Amino acid sequence: MKALIVDDSQIMRRIIVSVLKKAGVNDISEVNNGQEALDVLKQDKDIGLVLLDWNMPVMTGIETLKHIRTTNKQLPVVMVTTESEKERVVEAIKAGANDYMLKPFNPDDVLEKLRKYLESGGK
Amino acid sequence: MEKISINPFIDAVQEAFDSMVGYPANRIEALPAPSQVHLPDLIGVIGLSGTAQGVVALRFPMTTALAVINAMAGASFDKVDAAVIDGIGELVNIVTGCAKGKLKGHTISISLPTVVSGDICRLSNAKDTVWVEVPFESKLGVFSLVLTLKQVVANRQEVAREGVNSR
Ligand SMILES: [Mg+2]
Repeated sequence: MKALIVDDSQIMRRIIVSVLKKAGVNDISEVNNGQEALDVLKQDKDIGLVLLDWNMPVMTGIETLKHIRTTNKQLPVVMVTTESEKERVVEAIKAGANDYMLKPFNPDDVLEKLRKYLESGGK
Repeated sequence: MEKISINPFIDAVQEAFDSMVGYPANRIEALPAPSQVHLPDLIGVIGLSGTAQGVVALRFPMTTALAVINAMAGASFDKVDAAVIDGIGELVNIVTGCAKGKLKGHTISISLPTVVSGDICRLSNAKDTVWVEVPFESKLGVFSLVLTLKQVVANRQEVAREGVNSR
């Protein structure tokens, strides 16, 4: 199982990488923004889970999610964001997000939430 | 313009420190005077627009900034480099996003974070904005939350009396 982390903060990516490694996921790609994520997803068909920030330069997470869903309805996409208003959560779920995690988070809680995607092998 | 309580911002700082940094942050009366060897502060800044307008900043002495980011990222950076600066930007982003969710009855957008270093006394002095600095301490050092908001309400008593945030 390969995971893609999309976040403009290198420190946040580092935190998420360590959570994934704790869960036994060692095959991890990281990108800075949504456009880079779309480029990677086009090339790399092994990615089975996307962790997607909302506020990023170039292309936001919600735009990225909408792009992903035009071609891929199956790929698990989990939003990892500070956007906590109900309308935002609803917007993301409507756009096809599988799950929604709020920053600030406790890394152990994230691990717990991600398990179901990791166990299903991203299918 | 509806009045905005600063309490959601204070609560958001405490939540972020509890969960992401792993060390609680508590409010203190005032920041201690700078030591003799005074380094500039590292300040993460985010703009608010929408029904609440202003600036949210977290202002860290360099040593606190380093300790906080090391704790948050499980890292051992020994100087303030691009990664630490990035981390301070993300922390102010997390705090602001979290506070935004607690400000009921508002529709607010936040900018991408910026990080500056220096000795800033006042982040803005625009007309009808109020400037508030809330000092905190944690095991990792002291720091402060700086808010420049239109018509903020400065403390819990006033919030209760004026019933802000109730639409
Ligand atoms: Mg971001």
